[in-house]
Amino acid sequence: MEITETFEFEAKTDEEAIEKACRQLNLTRDEMEIEILEPGSAGIFGLVGGRKAKIKVTVSRKEPEVPEEEDGIAIAKEALEKILALIPMEGITVRAEQVDGAIVLNIEGDKSGLLIGRKGRTLDALQFIVNKIVNKTLERRARVIVDSEDYRQRRRDFLTQMALRMGDKAKKTQRPVSTNLLNPHDRRIVHLALREDEELGTKGRGEGVLKKVVIIPRRNNVSRSSRFQ
Amino acid sequence: MKELITYIAKALVDVPEEVFVTEIQGEQTSVIELKVAKEDLGKVIGKQGRTARAMRTILSAASTKINKRSVLEIIE
Repeated sequence: MEITETFEFEAKTDEEAIEKACRQLNLTRDEMEIEILEPGSAGIFGLVGGRKAKIKVTVSRKEPEVPEEEDGIAIAKEALEKILALIPMEGITVRAEQVDGAIVLNIEGDKSGLLIGRKGRTLDALQFIVNKIVNKTLERRARVIVDSEDYRQRRRDFLTQMALRMGDKAKKTQRPVSTNLLNPHDRRIVHLALREDEELGTKGRGEGVLKKVVIIPRRNNVSRSSRFQ
Repeated sequence: MKELITYIAKALVDVPEEVFVTEIQGEQTSVIELKVAKEDLGKVIGKQGRTARAMRTILSAASTKINKRSVLEIIE
């Protein structure tokens, strides 16, 4: 949001009027738009017919300070690079891009998988901290995803396959099958993988951040479909 | 290790001037003590200790790299 204010200043010359404006508004010349209304003239010999110079100053300032999307990316990238440098990681680059309203930071060059950690825990920790830093600096919600060596995609594929396998087992045994404790993001992948399957239902179970997903066979559906077969 | 925790803590709190980190080097294990302004304590701990846990995870990854162990203690 931009707030525009205009002021008028008078002085002997336009130069002096501008200086006066700078002083009173506490701004530099570059920070305001200056329009000379009357150039002012010294008159003959500076005695007769002298006219004061009159200027109009337009000041526009952004309020409240809302940094652009670009700033979010820059802040996120800088924070992650700083943390990685302090670990310290060498030969690592961070590529940043905006994808579907989220800031995606790709760490390139960590062949050891150190930054991924067991079950992506280190990657999640980095993501959590960078999210916090960005949200604090921007004072608005931004979503930051930290990835390395395509881990997020690999994890998604792995969880989808696991969900389908467990779904088959649930159908075959006609008993609920439960996953390990998963974080909300991983649980979502499991739910989505089986959403289309009408013979199965999925439910979260447990308390706290980590929960299990229970895959439940729907008896009615199975008996009905087997009747028509 | 000390610089890593200092950077993260300062980026999270409202009063970065009051972030103090000390490192007590042991043979295998270092203890890193983090002290922040009283009103910032919640910022470095987080909901259900999530922020503290994330800092500890990053710290242990950094320690693994130099074949050491580090413990983060938040001083109240």
